[in-house]
Amino acid sequence: MLSVKNLRVVFNTRNGTTVAVDDLSFELNAGEVVAIVGESGSGKSVACYSLLGLIPMPPGRIEGGAAEFYGKDLLPMSEPELRCVRGNKIAMIFQDPMTSLNPYMRVADQLIETIRQHKSMSKQDAHQKAIQALLEVGIRDAEARINDYPHQFSGGMRQRVMIAMALIAEPELLIADEPTTALDVTVQAQILALIKNLQVTRKLAVIFITHDLGVAAQMADHVLVMEKGILVEQGTTENIFKHPQHAYTRKLLSAVLTTTKPTPSLAQHTEPPFLHIAHLNTWFTQYGGAFIKRVVSRIKGVDDISLTIQRGEIVGIVGESGSGKSTLGRSIMRLVDTQSGEILLEGKNLLALSETDLKKSRRDFQMIFQDPYASLNPRMTVFDTLAEPLLVHGLATPQTVVEQVNELMDDVGLDRRFIRKYPHEFSGGQRQRIAIARAVALKPKLIIADEPVSALDVTIRAQILTLLLQLTQKHQLTMLFISHDMSVVRYLCDRVLVMQKGKLVEQGATEDLFTNPKEAYTQQLLAAIPKL
Amino acid sequence: MNTSNMPLEKGTSLAQDAFRRLRKNKMAVFGLFVLVFFIVIALTTPWLAPYTYDGQNLELGAVPPSAQHWLGTDTLGRDQLTRIMYGSRVSLMVGFIATAVALLIGVLWGATAGFLGGRVDAIMMRLVDVLYALPFTIFIVLLTVIFGSSMLLLFLAIGAVEWLTMARIVRGQVLTIKQQEFVEAAISMGLSPWQIITRHLIPNVIGPIIVYTTLTIPSVILLESFLSFLGLGIQPPQSSWGSLISGGVETMEEYPWLLIFPGLALSITLFSLNFLGDGLRDALDPRASKD
Repeated sequence: MLSVKNLRVVFNTRNGTTVAVDDLSFELNAGEVVAIVGESGSGKSVACYSLLGLIPMPPGRIEGGAAEFYGKDLLPMSEPELRCVRGNKIAMIFQDPMTSLNPYMRVADQLIETIRQHKSMSKQDAHQKAIQALLEVGIRDAEARINDYPHQFSGGMRQRVMIAMALIAEPELLIADEPTTALDVTVQAQILALIKNLQVTRKLAVIFITHDLGVAAQMADHVLVMEKGILVEQGTTENIFKHPQHAYTRKLLSAVLTTTKPTPSLAQHTEPPFLHIAHLNTWFTQYGGAFIKRVVSRIKGVDDISLTIQRGEIVGIVGESGSGKSTLGRSIMRLVDTQSGEILLEGKNLLALSETDLKKSRRDFQMIFQDPYASLNPRMTVFDTLAEPLLVHGLATPQTVVEQVNELMDDVGLDRRFIRKYPHEFSGGQRQRIAIARAVALKPKLIIADEPVSALDVTIRAQILTLLLQLTQKHQLTMLFISHDMSVVRYLCDRVLVMQKGKLVEQGATEDLFTNPKEAYTQQLLAAIPKL
Repeated sequence: MNTSNMPLEKGTSLAQDAFRRLRKNKMAVFGLFVLVFFIVIALTTPWLAPYTYDGQNLELGAVPPSAQHWLGTDTLGRDQLTRIMYGSRVSLMVGFIATAVALLIGVLWGATAGFLGGRVDAIMMRLVDVLYALPFTIFIVLLTVIFGSSMLLLFLAIGAVEWLTMARIVRGQVLTIKQQEFVEAAISMGLSPWQIITRHLIPNVIGPIIVYTTLTIPSVILLESFLSFLGLGIQPPQSSWGSLISGGVETMEEYPWLLIFPGLALSITLFSLNFLGDGLRDALDPRASKD
């Protein structure tokens, strides 16, 4: 059905030519599912986008090869010819359903537009077909919801709409680019099941682009492994996962965390307890009204939570998005206003501190943020970023600061020579190391890590987790680790708290909780993890 | 490379890097060169000018450019080159100082309002709205009636209106940037609002600030002629580019050179400013260049 031969795509950049895809060949039969796995920058997306002429040209350029779709080469096709293929024969779904739907158009209009682009059909018929399509992807009361705007759907529902839109013109090949990466695990499981189901009933061929080996294992018949634009290995899913040949495949597989925490718990019981939270409430109030403020709605981000954490413990907080786990972290950090309750850090109530005392106390608790691309000031060099907290808190003098920053660089495994570089000159993993260095610079007692590895590739993820473990030991840190990724939490944490809708539903020692979850919600979370 | 011998001053690195990058941008260097040239001319005009700015020669009248009068003369027989040179003193000074005043107030005001948010923001921005709503012409006439005409008042009047737009632009930018995690990181490190505004927010809104500044300077130069017409600012026989241009427009058909040359002087300044502004914006963004 689809036969790609010696595809080569290059990008012209200021630094010269970068080969994004080099000599890629693979075949895909009707009704077959192929997964392309690889880390970011491996060229897996570029390869698929260039089939449909969707890469920006220039700077991109397809230098050679052929992509025969039912015997017709897609690569030399003109834009109008490609438009007949796109959506009609080959459809795509993208990672972020938020940005790939037009926020100003009703779902109905977007679906109808897509149908009428490819099929001559009356508006009424198209409307009926659109409702059918929504029902097929599991949107109940589709007839009412079809007139909603994208923002009125949840993330998972939005991705269902995307899938409905992709499949509405009855394509034969579906290219899915990380379709579940932005979704919660439980929602991911539903969407994967939906795609699998549609694939079987419609006899679709699917190219599944993913960095998640678990997802690939679950979905694909064949797996292609790409590294730096080169196809390093391909084979049946079973062969790739059971008998990986190439070193890179093995590296990817070994980076999948299946193990439990390698180091013992360092929890020490102290009196008063290291961190004690009592009846904490953080609500978000929405105001409305043109002249007089009135409360429109209240969302209970953190709803009457009490918990205790010992010194030296690494505690995971898990839950889906919207469960309030980040809000809890940000409440402790005093980054959001809280309604009531107490947060006692070594007996000192953080919520009762004056502005001045709070500023001084902030050195005791620091945060590592999720997105290393947003958490570093792009106009400050690494040196400035790391020196700033030291100088502000008087922990360094202008004479000692360079040496102290150099030591921080050593601590997080970065070369001292990079000290004068700007954040954009680093990779995601290196950036997260800088962010970690900044958090430990003040020698805090408590670190709150909010999804610090979610934005990173699997192999980098393992390195960063190891680094976090090392640093907690070296500096005797207590860490609250917020994550939606159960396998990461299992690898890193001594104890786990499960949150749902602002409430704490279950807590326990990591292994107990994983092997013997009591609450239905916890069981659901655990069941949703894709297995290798 | 031994990093421990590097200079220790914090915050200077961006400026140093920016200057290094700016030097590589030929158009920006050209713009800078032209501006410096104009400023030097303006400063040395009393010694350089071939005639006096009010020296009339009524018998001569308006003549096109010639060997005696390179850029011609106006209807009163005054040397055009001399009048443009003297005019540049007023125009450049108004352009740069009034813009600098507007820049300083506007950026700090907007950044503070945007960062603090809530009630402070509401009060600060409502004040901006009130000033916006004030009829400018009446405001100027009032100023002249009460204080008379002076250069200082001119700066004050222009500064009072030009910072409003700047404040709005900066506030809007700050509202989006303060959502970013690096600002939260700065808060959680215990930095004061002032430190966050000056070190983390303003450097990241420098692009729009520079673009707007390069647009403000020429509009301020033209505003000056309007103010002079209302009686605030310079009075004839003194000259400024704005007043020369508005005078030239009236006699455009008979004596086109009276419009062309002052217009050219303003245009060249404007172009140079834009080239320099573009270069500065790129130079101050570490991501724009690979080194």
